[in-house]
Amino acid sequence: MAIRELKVCLLGDTGVGKSSIVSRFVQDHFDHNISPTIGASFMTKTVPSGNELHKFLIWDTAGQERFHSLAPMYYRGSAAAVIVYDITKQDTFHTLKKWVKELKEHGPENIVMAIAGNKCDLSDTREVTMKDAREYAESIGAIVVETSAKNAINVEELFQGISRRIPPLDPHENGSNGAMKLGRQSFQSTTRCC
Amino acid sequence: MATDTSFSRRLARREFRSSKDARLSVGSSVMKIISSTSVESLLTAEEDFLEYLSFLSTVALNALLRAGAVDPGNVKLLQHFNESFHGLWELISASYKTLKQSHEQNLALDTDELYLLQQAPGFVHIFKEYFESVTDFMVVKGFDRAAKQASSYWKSNKKVLRQMIKDTSDGPVHVLLQRVFIDPFRNHVQHYTLFLSNLTEDSEAEPLSDVLNTFVELQRHISQILDEASQTKILWSQISNKLTLALCHPERRLQEDSRNVPVAVANGRYERVLLFNDMLVFLQGHESKSFDLKTVWVDSTVKQKSEPNNYLLRIITPEDEVVLCAKEPQCQGLWLWKINQLIRQVLNGSRDYPLWGKAGEVTNPPTCRFSTYTFRNEGRFKEATYEGDMSWGKPHGKGTLKWADGRNHVGDFKFGQEDGFGICLIPNSSQDRYDCYKCHWRSGSMEGYGICEYADESVYKGYFKDNMRHGFGILECGAPDTNPFKYTGNWDRDKRSGYGVWESKNKGERYIGMWLNNNRHGPAIILTDSGACYQGIFNSNKMVGTGILLSEDSTMYEGEFTEDRLMAGKGKLTFSNGFTLVGTFNRNASLGLHTQGVLNTTSAHEDETTKRKFQLGAELFPVEERWNGIFEPFLKFLESGCQGETEEFFLGFHVKSSKKLQKSQEYLYCERDKDEVSGKIEDIIKEISVFQKQEDLQLYLEKAFKSSHHPFKKLLKILLLVYQATYSGVGANLHLLSMAQEEIKYYGKKLLEFCRALLATAGERNGHRNCILDEDEEMSDTWAYTLILPLILPRFHPDLFMLYMLYHEQEDGFYWQGIIRLGHLTDTKLLEFLDVQKQLWPLKDVKLTTNQRYSIVRHKCFHSATECLQKIITTVDPKEKLEIILKTYSEIERTVSRVVDKDYKLPMDDLLPLLIYVVSRAGIQHLGAEINFIRDLMDPSNRGGIYDFLLTALESCYEHIQKEEIRHYTC
Ligand SMILES: Nc1nc2c(ncn2[C@@H]2O[C@H](COP(=O)(O)OP(=O)(O)O)[C@@H](O)[C@H]2O)c(=O)[nH]1
Ligand SMILES: [Mg+2]
Repeated sequence: MAIRELKVCLLGDTGVGKSSIVSRFVQDHFDHNISPTIGASFMTKTVPSGNELHKFLIWDTAGQERFHSLAPMYYRGSAAAVIVYDITKQDTFHTLKKWVKELKEHGPENIVMAIAGNKCDLSDTREVTMKDAREYAESIGAIVVETSAKNAINVEELFQGISRRIPPLDPHENGSNGAMKLGRQSFQSTTRCC
Repeated sequence: MATDTSFSRRLARREFRSSKDARLSVGSSVMKIISSTSVESLLTAEEDFLEYLSFLSTVALNALLRAGAVDPGNVKLLQHFNESFHGLWELISASYKTLKQSHEQNLALDTDELYLLQQAPGFVHIFKEYFESVTDFMVVKGFDRAAKQASSYWKSNKKVLRQMIKDTSDGPVHVLLQRVFIDPFRNHVQHYTLFLSNLTEDSEAEPLSDVLNTFVELQRHISQILDEASQTKILWSQISNKLTLALCHPERRLQEDSRNVPVAVANGRYERVLLFNDMLVFLQGHESKSFDLKTVWVDSTVKQKSEPNNYLLRIITPEDEVVLCAKEPQCQGLWLWKINQLIRQVLNGSRDYPLWGKAGEVTNPPTCRFSTYTFRNEGRFKEATYEGDMSWGKPHGKGTLKWADGRNHVGDFKFGQEDGFGICLIPNSSQDRYDCYKCHWRSGSMEGYGICEYADESVYKGYFKDNMRHGFGILECGAPDTNPFKYTGNWDRDKRSGYGVWESKNKGERYIGMWLNNNRHGPAIILTDSGACYQGIFNSNKMVGTGILLSEDSTMYEGEFTEDRLMAGKGKLTFSNGFTLVGTFNRNASLGLHTQGVLNTTSAHEDETTKRKFQLGAELFPVEERWNGIFEPFLKFLESGCQGETEEFFLGFHVKSSKKLQKSQEYLYCERDKDEVSGKIEDIIKEISVFQKQEDLQLYLEKAFKSSHHPFKKLLKILLLVYQATYSGVGANLHLLSMAQEEIKYYGKKLLEFCRALLATAGERNGHRNCILDEDEEMSDTWAYTLILPLILPRFHPDLFMLYMLYHEQEDGFYWQGIIRLGHLTDTKLLEFLDVQKQLWPLKDVKLTTNQRYSIVRHKCFHSATECLQKIITTVDPKEKLEIILKTYSEIERTVSRVVDKDYKLPMDDLLPLLIYVVSRAGIQHLGAEINFIRDLMDPSNRGGIYDFLLTALESCYEHIQKEEIRHYTC
């Protein structure tokens, strides 16, 4: 079975639970496919998807506002972005929209966007409605789920959703959307924007 | 009369001695001892002969010499004759003296004390020489002429002559003269033989019978010498004067004649064949054609289908071939044997008169022999003299060919043509200068790798084909009076063609691009020493159409140019601040550049950067096509199954041209570096065929790239040459970075390809495939990065890294400003500034240093991580650099875990500030260049993975430090 490496970057305000979601996804179920990780900043997990194996290479980003301008380095070459907000904080949803806009403008073409409304276990103090989120996601063609890293709700589903959005490998044209087959990478020229 | 007195004396002595002999022989019981009777008989014979010689000298020899003095044609011959006569005389005197001595002391002699036996080879030699010189004189009718010239003297002495040989018949004077110089000498040799055979009868001693045999042999030789001489003399009187004049030579002897043993010349080209001791002659009427036996080969294996009863001999000479037909096999056999034996003798330089029929005892001449021959026929070799190994009429082996015009070729020949390594000197119009070619040759023309040092002091190193520069080559012209230049690139039939780099040394200008027929033609880049770069299209040396000019102040012009690369016509100028000017440009001598157009002052930053860092050439010159001329011969060699012959052909003659030199070098290498691996292809194949693991191959390659004889190392050297020719010096230009890094990666891919091919060849020879390097086809490139690049990068790194530094100069400058700013902060201030969570501050470490004289406030926190990161510049291997970054990360995590006293997994929110802290403390210069070097040259399969992540983290730190807020931060 072919292994495809999928670079996924995490975006969202500090404290929305990005790291928690990844920890939950990667460490909750014991899986011998888990590779050594860089603390909580870089983690991998391999899951089956149809005829393929998807190895998620998950890149955390710093949520501090002053590091915001460094984000493009992290999301370049990504197959997917997981953008997280906290359903109990309206302004995190606002930040999310800013990320989506940035990705649309500067992110890789065909990047799969997955919106996670985290901390759904705290729906008593909800500030963002599921409807708002869904409508917004639809308008931008993104996946959306409400998750709880704490209670392990919808975390797997979030990544399964991403897997489904990754087009199956076409032998003639691979890596066009940032997904790469092991050892192959789409062309990257040295003339990079700094 | 003299004869009478000596005779009586002799008689007296004989009586006296015989009485003594009786006594002695009783006492002699040992067989080896030669009885004094025998000694005495020999003594007498020698004494008599001496007397005869003295008499002959007075009566005949002196008269001959006197007569000869007025016959200039014979002076030399007579001189030789005289010398050999005296040589013989001295020999006999010496023999006589020793015999006399022992006789007077009444000593019996041991066999080895006998002068005749001691000096047997000397006797044989001197007698042979004497007979040869006499017959030399004889065949040219020396005696006949002498008899005529001094006829009165001889008439008066005719009687004496007759007495000397006890002849009663009344022969003519010249016959008598001939006989007095021959008959008694023959008799004397016969006397020796008799004496020795008597001795041999008494003794069974081995050496005695050997000596006897040599004298028997000598007798036979003498008869043969005399026979040959009289046959030859007869021939000279039979054939026409014209032919005699052409052919007669004192030392020449007739050996066979087609009238004696019949053979015919095929096609009736000639009517008679004469075989002499030095040449083979064909006669037709009064004309003759002769072939020096040294360059004659005889082939008896040819058959004629139409005439199966003809027995053929093919006579092969360098420029002619004649077929002899015999009706009888014996005739063919005899001619074959005789010609071959004479060739052998002529090659040995001495005659040994072999006996016909004793085929087993004598050997045939070697087919490959050292000869000299001057070509006469029309063609390349006309009037050239060849000296060296020849085989079947053709130069074959090592030799020298010299033309009349001073051309000179020394080297290997095959089947009559230059083939293999050779050095050829060709005189140039200026008299004492030569073009010197050290090259490989195939069937008479230069092909393969060679070096030519031309008379005008320019030097070409590269490939040839059909005597022309063809394929890859470097032509360097350093003559100061002309325009010194260096061309590194492709050639096509002696002309610059294809991709090539031209450097004008005076102008300091470099042209990188396409050529056709020695002209600049096609897309090209021009770099000038002022730092300006052009990119454009050339047609017959002139720039045409639109192009690009990048000036050193980062202004970019895109538009039309004049043929001499001046901005002229429609174009767009982008200034370094991003302003653009679109319009029409003109240049005239008095006013300089003037323009009419629209200035746009709204600049897009991104646009400005891409222009400032505009990359030239990458699309114009596909990397796969640039240096094909280097890779192709190498690949051909590998594809041919690595035959040694082709190896030399593509790599030059360092491989095995001079065996002696190579041996001494090998020796030196053993002394110098035990790590050298053999460069001989057989050894390479053998060595790599046993590899089991990738590590074996890696270790081997490590050595191979360092072993000066190894093909890989040689290839690497050439690659380094072309790389430097393009990218160092005036080529150290940031606009070439793309081309340069792409090129190095391609070198890695090609070398990997060659590795694979070698493994495949080794596998084929072993009969089993070597699987070290075969994996998923998709993995193929990975090996180039993990196996090859780390080994070759060190050689290219200085020049390549220079380009990275130039490319990132501005960013590195901003970064450095930031580093200096942050350097002013104390550790705690910096941690605070970077917003590192207080609980993660390694204040424990700071406290530890309070007692020390180091400032407590600076460079103490995260010391291990900082030190680790600083090691990044100690290696050029991207993989090792990445490992250093990973280790730096672990050091940070370790320190933090120590501080919080538990396993602490750093999320990005914590990691990034801490990494910025460490980067700012590590203070690595040109970090931007480093990061991008790593990113471009690391194994692409790392992309997206852990190393890529950390490299990106490092890069984001680098970016962050460049920020205004940090560069201009004041505390
Ligand atoms: N109740 C609840 N708390 C959560 C959930 N996910 C994360 N948290 C908490 O939110 C805080 C921030 O989480 P973290 O993963 O560090 O957020 P990040 O800054 O986006 O990486 C932590 O205290 C978590 O325990 C969740 O699903 N439910
Ligand atoms: Mg986090």
